Amino acid sequence: MTSFVAVLRKDLLLEVRGGQSVVALGALSLLVLVVLVFAFNPGGGEQGAEAAAGALWVALVFSGMLGATRAVSAENENGCIRALLMSPLDRAALYAAKLAAAFIFMAVAEAASIILMVLFFNLEFDARVLRLVPAVLLGALGFAALATLLAGISSRLRGGDLVLPLLAVPMFVPALIAGVKASASALSGAAVGEFAVWLKVLVAFDVMFVAAGYLLFEYVAEEE
Amino acid sequence: MTAPLIEARALCKSFGPTPVLRDVNLSVEAGRAAAVIGANGAGKSTLIRLLAGLSAPSLGAALLFGEPARSLRPELRRRVGLLSHQSMLYPNLTARENLEFYATLYGVQDARAVAIEWLERVALGAAAEARVRGFSRGMEQRLALARAMLARPDVLMLDEPFAALDADGAALAAALVREAMDRGCAVLASAHSAGALAELGFAVFALGRGTVMSAEAAAARRSAARPALARQLS
Repeated sequence: MTSFVAVLRKDLLLEVRGGQSVVALGALSLLVLVVLVFAFNPGGGEQGAEAAAGALWVALVFSGMLGATRAVSAENENGCIRALLMSPLDRAALYAAKLAAAFIFMAVAEAASIILMVLFFNLEFDARVLRLVPAVLLGALGFAALATLLAGISSRLRGGDLVLPLLAVPMFVPALIAGVKASASALSGAAVGEFAVWLKVLVAFDVMFVAAGYLLFEYVAEEE
Repeated sequence: MTAPLIEARALCKSFGPTPVLRDVNLSVEAGRAAAVIGANGAGKSTLIRLLAGLSAPSLGAALLFGEPARSLRPELRRRVGLLSHQSMLYPNLTARENLEFYATLYGVQDARAVAIEWLERVALGAAAEARVRGFSRGMEQRLALARAMLARPDVLMLDEPFAALDADGAALAAALVREAMDRGCAVLASAHSAGALAELGFAVFALGRGTVMSAEAAAARRSAARPALARQLS
């Protein structure tokens, strides 16, 4: 636990000092939302809710890739990843810390995205937006888990920035569908039962992605 | 004779079709030190990376404490220190924060106090709260040395430990290495020339054409090659 806290604290401290990830994530989310609101020009009601949910999740995926990449690639500077691998630090604890850092980055960016979404899509800050929160958090957790694992692979490849989205997005599609459906249900005020079904799907994918990352990261993190 | 803490057994490493190390045999016991010298590209850093477990051998074995370096248990990894070409320091953390972080990872008690102590030992006390990004190469090297040694490892691997150090820095590094050897640490270092390492009592080995031989054997080979070369040129 001490090592996990030390790595997470270090990553958060580096981010506060660098400030690049959260600003970049926020800017990217804003760009995505602005482009999509003008592209869809949604009206109110269910159509507007679906468009808003879709735009939000596009922003989540893009920001998630950036956040996970940053959390992992920060270790490549000055060869710090080698020091971590040589230390007594458990590989699973390293993965957990990187996942937590990526999740926190995404959660902060998503909080900003939700606010922007409500503003741009002419929604209300009411109970429906609150129902959105668990879906977004579950989606952020699942995508952070997947992207952190894949970022560990792509960070060592030439053209790694291209490889990560090629790997991550197709694998995340089922969870993405569930997330968009859950979010659209929440924003359109649909019955709790319908919303809960999609949440359960998200939970299942989160368990799968987190477990896979936890088990596989040590093989990914080893050098040649 | 005690079991070696650092051992290479018939160690081979190739990158694709290019062999870098061929049948390297080397061992270092507790309290002893070995220096591997060689030209650029000879494979010195590759050898250290293999013995540190950061790279897998193509053939043979790289052992630490008698176990494969690549799959060392955490309790044994705690006893290994590495000074690499790269400093392994976070540029946006201060010197103290870097050492405190690594002290925590290595389970050192009172990490903050140990970090401050080591900053004083490498003459960086005044720069404790300065970010590493603003450090000179020599300052980084001293801080990296502190990072490698602060957990009092039983095995120390130093890739060109005196690189970028001025006379004072080199003397300080030599003193720290000597102290580690005196407390029973097994030390393996690499360098372009024997010089300071030989003065510290390191057994010197030459790495050339992928193989390791004693410095004397390497010198004899060079001497034998010179008359042959002279005959060719005449």
